[in-house]
Amino acid sequence: MLAIEKVRKVFGATTVLDGVELVVEPGEVVSILGSSGSGKSTLIRCINGLERLDGGRITVDGFNVSKPRELAEARKRSGTVFQLFNLYPHMTAVGNVMLAPVEVLKLPKKEAEARARRILDSVGLGPRADAYPAQLSGGQRQRVGLARALAMEPRYLLLDEVTSALDPEMTAEVLGILAELARSGTTMLFVTHEIEFARRISNRIVFLDGGRLVVDLPTAAFFSAAGGMAHPRIAQFLSKMQKD
Amino acid sequence: MQLDLSVLAPHAGFLWRGAILTAEVCGLAILGSVVLGALVAIARTASSRWLRGLAAVYVDLFRNVPFLVQLFFFYYGLPELGIYIDAFTTGVLALSIAGGAYASDAIRSGILAIDPGIIEAAEVSGLSRRVIFTRIVLPIALRTSIRPLGSVLINMILTSSILSAITLNELTGSGRIVASDTFRPFEVYAVLLVAYAALTWTVSLAVNLLHRRMNRGITQAVA
Ligand SMILES: Nc1ncnc2c1ncn2[C@@H]1O[C@H](COP(=O)(O)OP(=O)(O)OP(=O)(O)O)[C@@H](O)[C@H]1O
Ligand SMILES: [Mg+2]
Repeated sequence: MLAIEKVRKVFGATTVLDGVELVVEPGEVVSILGSSGSGKSTLIRCINGLERLDGGRITVDGFNVSKPRELAEARKRSGTVFQLFNLYPHMTAVGNVMLAPVEVLKLPKKEAEARARRILDSVGLGPRADAYPAQLSGGQRQRVGLARALAMEPRYLLLDEVTSALDPEMTAEVLGILAELARSGTTMLFVTHEIEFARRISNRIVFLDGGRLVVDLPTAAFFSAAGGMAHPRIAQFLSKMQKD
Repeated sequence: MQLDLSVLAPHAGFLWRGAILTAEVCGLAILGSVVLGALVAIARTASSRWLRGLAAVYVDLFRNVPFLVQLFFFYYGLPELGIYIDAFTTGVLALSIAGGAYASDAIRSGILAIDPGIIEAAEVSGLSRRVIFTRIVLPIALRTSIRPLGSVLINMILTSSILSAITLNELTGSGRIVASDTFRPFEVYAVLLVAYAALTWTVSLAVNLLHRRMNRGITQAVA
């Protein structure tokens, strides 16, 4: 279970997260929607320990990310995919994917490489496994980023606008794989601006507004007139997103 | 005046040993200054203010004092404190310490140029700080700093000629002895010119090869 309790985060004088509460159970796909600056990325960065909390608590399967001794365990249980891929530029696709399994999980190199090639194959990159990031297209790079996270067999996959740096065709490539993962029961916390896609794959949708988590509803309820749409901010957000 | 290299024939072995000594001292000092430079670069980019300060003092100190003075301090000054180091070791140490200060600059700017997102990706995947440094930060930093580092190393080879001042008969030291024995400075220094050029050329060739190897994958066209 991924448990976010009364989380607060401030940058200088601005409160970026304000009493955020959210629980993600294994097997769930939860999408986080919200306008730019609402704190979505910051929330993801708090979960994977890149930002220090100013209040509240986050535990990943019981491991508290604010405790240095538990952070390592928490990080083994979650995998992050970044908007701008953040691949290691000096390593091939396989090198990117097998590094953490070798160094963190202590898998023998051969086994880690076999796993890396298998996963790259599953995201359609088998033939490009030995290419360097600079030799790959954006969509291919993001698929390597996804494979790198999956190679650690995380219980929770954290995705922060993983398609917003991609053109529509490449976006479709990556979303296709995510839909597959959702179907196979991968737990995901998914920050996105792809409303239709979120609607299709999510069990629940939460909406962040100015650092507050204003609704947390099953997908169908979120899009219903009596549910999420009853909130003026959400109705406004959705109509604006659908215009774009 | 005519170049007559045959006059140097009896001294060829002596000059050759001097050249070997130069190569040995420089080889060790290149290793020493790169390792020291990397360590100091880590310290200079560390989060501890204390460590950063200490590293900055080291770099400033050794860049702002003439190499000859540093050398004399190690060779003639330290024995006053009961610390005796032979000329060869002193030469290697002094060159490594001075070279390390410059090398740390080159490596540090390579580290600072790394996209922080790459390091964050490594952190969240659970890699230890040591692994992040050796497998990610250093190799990426070296891709960009290998060329400036090359100039530092070549400068160090040139500086090594000063070691003759502490009785180390490396290439320049042996050259001076042979020149005064034979009264043929023209021939002697012509040979030294070529020898140093060959030495530095070898290093810059190696640096170019390394640069190409390390930047494999980014120099090729995007698919
Ligand atoms: N390191 C930082 N220092 C100061 N302010 C920050 C920092 N990171 C984020 N912020 C601020 O926190 C707020 C929330 O940022 P965040 O990146 O979490 O928003 P977001 O919901 O992900 O937005 P977007 O949809 O544009 O990605 C913004 O006002 C942003 O300016
Ligand atoms: Mg964001």
